[in-house]
Amino acid sequence: MPSSNFGFMDRYDQRVGRLAGQAERYVYTDPESCLFKLRLMVETMAKTLIEMQAPHLVDSDLSTMLRSLERSQMLSRAHADQMHAIRRDGNSAVHGEPTPGPTAMRRLHDAHRLSGWYCKIVKRGAKVELKAFEPPSRDSMDAKKAAQWKKGEALESSIEKQRQQTREALLLFSENEDTDSIATKLVDELKGWDEIAIEAGEPLIDAEFVALVMAMDIEKLLEHPRFGVPSQEAHAMAEAQFDAVREDLEAKEKAFRQQRKQLAEGQD
Amino acid sequence: MSESMLNTQIQLATTWFLAARTMAVADGHVPKVKEAAAGLYARAILELPERVCIEAKQPENIGALKIEDCLVAVRNLPREQGEKIMTGVMMIAYSTKAMHPLEVRWASMLASAIGLSEDDFQRCCIGARVIATMLNPSGKEESDA
Repeated sequence: MPSSNFGFMDRYDQRVGRLAGQAERYVYTDPESCLFKLRLMVETMAKTLIEMQAPHLVDSDLSTMLRSLERSQMLSRAHADQMHAIRRDGNSAVHGEPTPGPTAMRRLHDAHRLSGWYCKIVKRGAKVELKAFEPPSRDSMDAKKAAQWKKGEALESSIEKQRQQTREALLLFSENEDTDSIATKLVDELKGWDEIAIEAGEPLIDAEFVALVMAMDIEKLLEHPRFGVPSQEAHAMAEAQFDAVREDLEAKEKAFRQQRKQLAEGQD
Repeated sequence: MSESMLNTQIQLATTWFLAARTMAVADGHVPKVKEAAAGLYARAILELPERVCIEAKQPENIGALKIEDCLVAVRNLPREQGEKIMTGVMMIAYSTKAMHPLEVRWASMLASAIGLSEDDFQRCCIGARVIATMLNPSGKEESDA
């Protein structure tokens, strides 16, 4: 059966299109396999993109490739979030976590959003008209299964909202802020203060020292007779603090997986 | 958390994000990429909860503030927090491996507002380098990640 949402991809990248089509076919009958195929799809897309931008990273793990693509600005924030969501949920599926159907459907929808953009990148100048995503057709559900599906959708909405909040907290600028105009305003203000400071003969920090520290190998810095011990202590302390935050973030993801597992097991 | 404690934390978070943003854009390049180092720093080192970091970036908090408000705020912070802000701002400065004159000016203005001696500033600088290496906010490839 041809894919209804991803059939157009054959003209641009057959392998990616085939993986998306397979994911689409599994979305109701085997959500874990759907996510596995979607993760492979994203990995294949990332490899193609990284070959254009940083070929030395082509054998890196998916997370590293995505971060590199984000930093090179090839991936927008929204696309990166969609790819990371597929990567995360695909990893859970690969590790045997039971997955409710609505989770797989959300990621399939994400994959559809990514597909049009991806085709435009791999075939420069191509006019890709992405049709609206249509959930694949399925046999009608009995009332119990329909209620479970609704619960799954509600859970996914709640997870998405919480992930959004976590992301908002971490970013330097909020999603809905006009970054360019904020930057212009800040730079203009800073230039004004700079002129006043020059007039007043205000002292500057020791830029030579800053440059020296910047240029030093971190190992040398940590072993430096003057800074070594406090630097090592600061390193250990900061590492522990960052680990605590990462553990907190991981605990949240674990709780999401647990909620999904409970729901999926209820479906069985 | 009491309301006054919450307000104090929001004020600290607002000061941090404004100081960090100013350093991040001072070289004229707007960081369009997703940049989580500032938020991770706020959560881990400044020990600010998630909702406080979100609240700080609301227009009614950070939106109306100017650089001079940031300088007044850091001047009024406890010394330890002021040094943490200086360290975090230098961590962002280290991300491009070079300092633009306006970045040097911003670091100088902050150091002066906090009242840092040369030694204090150097300590912040080294701490920043150590943390920058840990978080790698630089955009350099981390093939070993």
